[in-house]
Amino acid sequence: MNWLDNLTEKFSRNVARTSSRRGFLCGLGGVIAGGSIMPLLPVARAADAEQPGPPTVDPGDPATYEYWRNCAIDGYLCSCCGGTINSCPPGTEMSTITWIGTCKNPGDGKDYIISYNDCCGKTSCGNCFCNRNEGDRPTYRPHTSNDYNWCLGTESTAYHCTVNLILGVAIK
Amino acid sequence: MLKQFLRFMLLLGMTQSALADLPIDKPGRIETLPVPYPNDWVIVHDVAFDHMSVGRFMVLDINGGDIKDFFKGSFNGGFIAAFTQALKKPEMYVLEHYYDRGTRGNRTDVLTIYDRATLEPVDEIILDDPKLKRAEILVSKFVISLIDDERFLLFYSFTPGTFVTVIDLEKREVVNGVPLPTCAGIYPTGKRGFSSLCGNGSMVSFQLDEDGQVTEQGKIEPFFDVDRDALFERPAIIGDTGYFPSFSGAVQEIDLSGAAASLGEQWSLLNDEDREQNWRPGGAWLAATDSTGRLYVMMHENGEEGSHDYPGSEIWVFDPDSKTRVQRIPLTLPAIAFDITMGDAPKIVTTNIEMSLEVYDARSGEHLNTIADFYHNWPLLVYASQ
Repeated sequence: MNWLDNLTEKFSRNVARTSSRRGFLCGLGGVIAGGSIMPLLPVARAADAEQPGPPTVDPGDPATYEYWRNCAIDGYLCSCCGGTINSCPPGTEMSTITWIGTCKNPGDGKDYIISYNDCCGKTSCGNCFCNRNEGDRPTYRPHTSNDYNWCLGTESTAYHCTVNLILGVAIK
Repeated sequence: MLKQFLRFMLLLGMTQSALADLPIDKPGRIETLPVPYPNDWVIVHDVAFDHMSVGRFMVLDINGGDIKDFFKGSFNGGFIAAFTQALKKPEMYVLEHYYDRGTRGNRTDVLTIYDRATLEPVDEIILDDPKLKRAEILVSKFVISLIDDERFLLFYSFTPGTFVTVIDLEKREVVNGVPLPTCAGIYPTGKRGFSSLCGNGSMVSFQLDEDGQVTEQGKIEPFFDVDRDALFERPAIIGDTGYFPSFSGAVQEIDLSGAAASLGEQWSLLNDEDREQNWRPGGAWLAATDSTGRLYVMMHENGEEGSHDYPGSEIWVFDPDSKTRVQRIPLTLPAIAFDITMGDAPKIVTTNIEMSLEVYDARSGEHLNTIADFYHNWPLLVYASQ
């Protein structure tokens, strides 16, 4: 199956599933964090935060479009790129400045705050593209916008793939 | 048999000698393009999503049948470049950056200025202020804008501090970085200014002096709820009015003619039947206008939270004066972005979900052409040539 067939198949499948999509327009790229007059976004501390660990019930395959943590992702799933749901592929660098989503875990019924960290420094992975936009908002509210290249503060803005880290359970 | 062979060879030699030789080709010939471009030429951003370090902009004739007919030339754009074009001089601007080892090494940010006829870079402005690094946003034309009769070029910086960088195109230098309070988008406003939408549902405006410094500021206090019904930051600008669709199908008019933006009317793209079927605006680039000032919005059915980037199955056409829909144009394939050519015979050019381009008559809605064969390229955003 050639690339175009892959693309067509990918979009046809998504069209069938979700009445279609913008696809590609994933949040990417980024820039070296320079002097900023704005406080860092709420999830800039993602790298320092102690991860709470996976929920006790975590149903689904992370490498699929439907997996619950992917509810606001826009990019290549690192699980298909040599990484995992929460680790970057070898030789890349994880961005510490991210956008966030709030996704419901069907296993325990809880809403979790998910940090979508881009893995950066190599050209695009190209595997398992996924774009969902639940809670995504336009670029004027950056921390919930997946249209940016979030390879920010990394040595290179080259976007490779995206992981999704649980930051905690959302407070109603 | 030998005689027959010799006769054949003799005949062949006579035939060949009777034909004139082809002229000798001279090396070094390079094509140039007509300026201004014909109305039916468009500039299409190949964002090269699978290899972003070298994207490109393609100049295409939308009437072309195959690639040798429609492909007129290209110029590069690194790492999800931003693009805009001048109306009054044959210049096109590409905001981009590169690394000296491809995806690693030292970074160089640059505004590259291309000549419209030769597609050669004729000048560049190096952008080395670390706090003014450009935002890389795949789907926004409003990350870069020309104002003040094309003297100043503005671009959106995201580090993640938010700024608008001001470049004086006559001096070919950066003259200012205007800090924004978590806002985005650059919508030309008034004599020499711009406005931006902000994360709390407000809008800020700035006017600049002849040196690019801020002289006046204005603000529209929060006027929409980002969570409940966000405005797309991708409006159609018709005259001095921005038409900003909302996720649910409203349109917020914003008057950009004064020193500061001011709120205009709000109206709906939908009638009762449309609401019942849950039609919504959506797509990567979902609104545009033509030379007569009609408003075109790409729409999809069965909308829901998170569907704002879904491809559209139809483009709806509105008369912004009467605020009524005058036409529905069904698309042969759902589209993710579109633009409309200028002139008396405007055409809609869409990027469909198979990453081919479709051409429609903007008046009748008739499908006119399909431009395919982009192979591994991502012809995402269409710009009408100006």
